[in-house]
Amino acid sequence: MTPIAIDASAMMQGLYCILPEILIVATALFVLFVDLILPEENRRILCGVSIIGVALSLFTVFAMGPGKISGFSGAVVHDGLGAFFEIVILSACALTLLMATGYSEWEGTHKGEFYSLLLLSTSGMMFMAKGTDLMTIFLGLETLSIPIYVLVGFHRHRMSSVEGALKYFLLGAFASGFLLYGIALMYAATGTTKIAQMVPMLYDARLAASPVFLAGVGLLLVGFAFKVSLVPFHMWTPDAYEGAPTVVTAFMSAAVKAAAFAALIRVLLLTLGGLQPVLWKVLWVLSVLTMTVGNLSALVQNNVKRMLAYSSIAHAGYILVGMVSGDVLGGQASLFYLLVYAFMNIGAFGVVMLIAQKEDEGYDIDNLAGIGFKYPALAGLLTLFLVSLGGIPPTAGFVGKFYLFSAAIKHGYIWLAVIGVLNSAASIYYYLRIVVYMYFLPAKGEVPVPRPPRIAFSLALCASASVVLVLGIVPSSVLEFAERSVLSLLM
Amino acid sequence: MTGPANLIFYALAALTVGSAVLVAVLPNIVYAAVALLFSFAGVAGLYVFLSADFLAATQVLVYVGGILILILFAVFLSNRISDVKISNPARFQWQAALLCLALFGVLSTTAVRTVFPLKHGLTYQPTTAEIGELLMTRYLLPFEAASVLLLAALIGAALLSRPDGKGKGSADMEEPK
Repeated sequence: MTPIAIDASAMMQGLYCILPEILIVATALFVLFVDLILPEENRRILCGVSIIGVALSLFTVFAMGPGKISGFSGAVVHDGLGAFFEIVILSACALTLLMATGYSEWEGTHKGEFYSLLLLSTSGMMFMAKGTDLMTIFLGLETLSIPIYVLVGFHRHRMSSVEGALKYFLLGAFASGFLLYGIALMYAATGTTKIAQMVPMLYDARLAASPVFLAGVGLLLVGFAFKVSLVPFHMWTPDAYEGAPTVVTAFMSAAVKAAAFAALIRVLLLTLGGLQPVLWKVLWVLSVLTMTVGNLSALVQNNVKRMLAYSSIAHAGYILVGMVSGDVLGGQASLFYLLVYAFMNIGAFGVVMLIAQKEDEGYDIDNLAGIGFKYPALAGLLTLFLVSLGGIPPTAGFVGKFYLFSAAIKHGYIWLAVIGVLNSAASIYYYLRIVVYMYFLPAKGEVPVPRPPRIAFSLALCASASVVLVLGIVPSSVLEFAERSVLSLLM
Repeated sequence: MTGPANLIFYALAALTVGSAVLVAVLPNIVYAAVALLFSFAGVAGLYVFLSADFLAATQVLVYVGGILILILFAVFLSNRISDVKISNPARFQWQAALLCLALFGVLSTTAVRTVFPLKHGLTYQPTTAEIGELLMTRYLLPFEAASVLLLAALIGAALLSRPDGKGKGSADMEEPK
């Protein structure tokens, strides 16, 4: 056996390629150490340290630009798609941390472990978004999931938190098993785990139709479908989202979904050339099922957190619409929607978090009655985010849905677009129901007093709101960025 | 592959699958754990049969030596689990059977219908050195990413199993008398 040479310059290039991830992991370790020496009452510093780390990492992503840098013999690549999703994931993480400053004080999650787990999970997501080897993607997925399981169960005294964590853990472990089995079968069929090497093989019709490969792709899809909670693999979502501390729910709904979709988009867009005739039907059915079941279940929820959980399932369906067509236009629409979705969903969770006094009971929809005119700023923000989730202009949610459905129509999936629009119309009912509760229903007894937000919290809400509004009015630059990202993948 | 080799293979396969079925069926969790031991050992045997020496040793060390012992410890240390009714209940049997049969159908047709390319005249060589070298060169990133994963798992486990720290100290630990 000849030894494999690995020279210094290749090593440096590899390290440079994963610099944003290195920064995040280093911050996570630093937070752990600082937590040891810091006195109990100064725990807020930990949050600040984490935010600085995330900001540094975000800056590095911008500084590195969209140029393609691959490292570690093709295990990761820093390209447009990776950069785009790193920006989405890091922004979601930053918003979560800003909100956590206040939330941790109210609910007692000010612990070094909370922040370092959040950061480690973020690093896993970034690896997943950049992974070009199925092995890297799998390890990223696990690094993402395990801290999230723990964070969901962070409130050990609350039954719902523990229940959510256990369900998420068990089903998530199954999903990982399916994913790994899928990767193993794909390896058996092609002899490689590198996506780039798999792609040219797929033009061979014998491989693309071979049962081992198809079974592998199917199992891989099942694994991903669990993670982004596509129907019928969505069973864990409402319980996990309801039980988790609300900051974690916001983070899960935005960042975990973005990371899993990043890997899915990379795998699907690259392999679709060979598999398109089989795959689009599967994706079509999954997308329609996910949208419909998600929206119909959300209609009857009285707990706001649970309602937003079902709404996030439905949104995964919308995002999948862009991937059915499997080309630049659809990919671009999916990317744009994922970015917008992260901001509007975290924003909505943020406002709800302020209004609810307590976990569990605080999230009942009755609790929102009478808020509207008493706290106009909060109610206005929540209305903005809900309107955007429902897809009404002039918000970014409308632009995102418009591009998703027009991509579907352009490729001739008329029925898919029709079902999507109908679903979107149905979803407006339950989003506006909250608005009606806030403005038009009198409170039963006392109007609950929302918590006074800290500066960081207000900053997070304002940032989300401005992104939702600005992208709703002038989306072109971000759309171009999304298009370039998808193109850089296909080059 | 003929003669005794064939026989050994089928014996190992039967051991693996048979014990795995027992794990799923046995009502007592301790029996199930012991059946799992045989299943793991059977898989290790299959690895030896494929001349994957490193994998076989790891299988024995990690699964038989580590995970199984941990399962048994967990069973013996948690007091109420020895009750058969809560330890290993079976519900939704029909639905589960249907789902499993469907999955089994897919996987078995896959296995039967695929034409696997066979390589003839291979000489088997020890793999450990090569794996070690690959881990430090070509697969360096996955290797290091796995260490981050382990760190996260450790932090999480410590966090979830530790008693709440506020002022109580180690309230759940009894002083030795």
